[in-house]
Amino acid sequence: MVVLHFIAVGVVLAILQTTVCMRTPVSFLAPDFYYVLVAYLALRLDVLRSLVILFPLACVLDVLSGTILGTYALICFGGYFFLRQLAGKLPVNELLYELPLISLSFLAVSWAVYLFLELFQPGQQAAWSWWKILARMLLVALCSYPLFLFFDLIQKYSQRSFLSWGKLRLRSDNRRRRT
Amino acid sequence: MRKKPTRKRSDRYRLFRIVILAGLLMTLGLIFLVSTLGSQNFGPLHKLVLEAMGPLQKAVTLSSSYLETFKSEYIDILQDSLRLREENKRLVQQLQENENILNKSREAMATNASLRKLLEFKNSLDQQQMVATTIVGKDPSAMFRSVIIDRGSNSGVGRGNPVVNSDGVVGQVFAVTPNYAKVLLAIAPSSAIDVLLQKSRVRGILKGNGTLTYRLEYILKTAEVEEGDHVVTAGYGGIFPTGLQVGVISKIIKKPRGMFHEIEVTPSVDYQKLENLLILQQPQLGEIKQMEQR
Repeated sequence: MVVLHFIAVGVVLAILQTTVCMRTPVSFLAPDFYYVLVAYLALRLDVLRSLVILFPLACVLDVLSGTILGTYALICFGGYFFLRQLAGKLPVNELLYELPLISLSFLAVSWAVYLFLELFQPGQQAAWSWWKILARMLLVALCSYPLFLFFDLIQKYSQRSFLSWGKLRLRSDNRRRRT
Repeated sequence: MRKKPTRKRSDRYRLFRIVILAGLLMTLGLIFLVSTLGSQNFGPLHKLVLEAMGPLQKAVTLSSSYLETFKSEYIDILQDSLRLREENKRLVQQLQENENILNKSREAMATNASLRKLLEFKNSLDQQQMVATTIVGKDPSAMFRSVIIDRGSNSGVGRGNPVVNSDGVVGQVFAVTPNYAKVLLAIAPSSAIDVLLQKSRVRGILKGNGTLTYRLEYILKTAEVEEGDHVVTAGYGGIFPTGLQVGVISKIIKKPRGMFHEIEVTPSVDYQKLENLLILQQPQLGEIKQMEQR
């Protein structure tokens, strides 16, 4: 259920980012919600489930945005493993301490992907702009706190199973007898 | 035995007294009637009655007027305020409804104007088959520039079809699904369009750079180029029709080195206000692709 819920949340966030948050086709102040989800998965969820969530998310983003397929897969998986490595070495895992880490990892991954694309697909993407990327970093940091709380709620909600086996199990009349 | 005659006597006296009193009252009443009806004078009795009744009347009148004043000052105001509040609520609601209607009509007028402009543009392109479309999604990345439109191969849209609006060239269809398509905007860094300078007929390649300007490349330094020159599509390659408005030259950077000018072009299309677009269907595009594949 957690996986399905987070895939749905990821898709909704991607749609919000490409519609409501983008007032014009050249607007750059669109918060990268998807990266906050990537960071949440890296910092709060296990690898297997995170990867299952990241595959459709990266695919949706590649379809809705960009001209080079796989760019978002690079950003999502790169960001995920980078953050996971860093988080393993951090002595604290409080959200407030993690916010700078998330935005810095966004900057690092964006820069790495830009360099990678410049190397293999030169002239296919807009020139690197520090002030734009810094603005987006700030937006990621600002969105992270409320979104992490929201994701926590979703995870808590998802872990309450609707059809637990305990409820469905047939009990004998003798309560003392162990079946 | 002696008590009986005493009771009889007292009964008789009582009856006598009643008769006397009634007779007196009737006489007085008769006198009053005769004196009133006969002389028609406002006599002392009347004056006495009036003097007695006057203060009572005055008190009642004053208190009623006081009550009237109180009612008019407080209760009516209260009622009025309640009524006014309801009236105010109704008027505010009406105002909001009217504002909504006004907004809708303003929006409808703006859409109408935009579509009319688009229709005029469509009529100006004779014999060209085209499909009207609307943008449903925009690329949020800082590196690329593309939009998603709500028409696909079911509407006859194909990969490579030019996308325009009434102001000029917007971009090119990049990927197609049955009901949607992805358009690469002309300002995208990976976009390149064959163009002509309208005045001098010099040919060049227009490239996007991710910002709100184009870069015009491969214009020789020997060519006559001026700021303000209009740039139009060249029509080579059979993708874009010839003469579609692309932009105006806004800056020419002359460098001592190199063979070509560095030219900046301001788009004729306002990318901040992209909404309704037209996709030009190119029947010969399929043939071109087939030839390219061979």
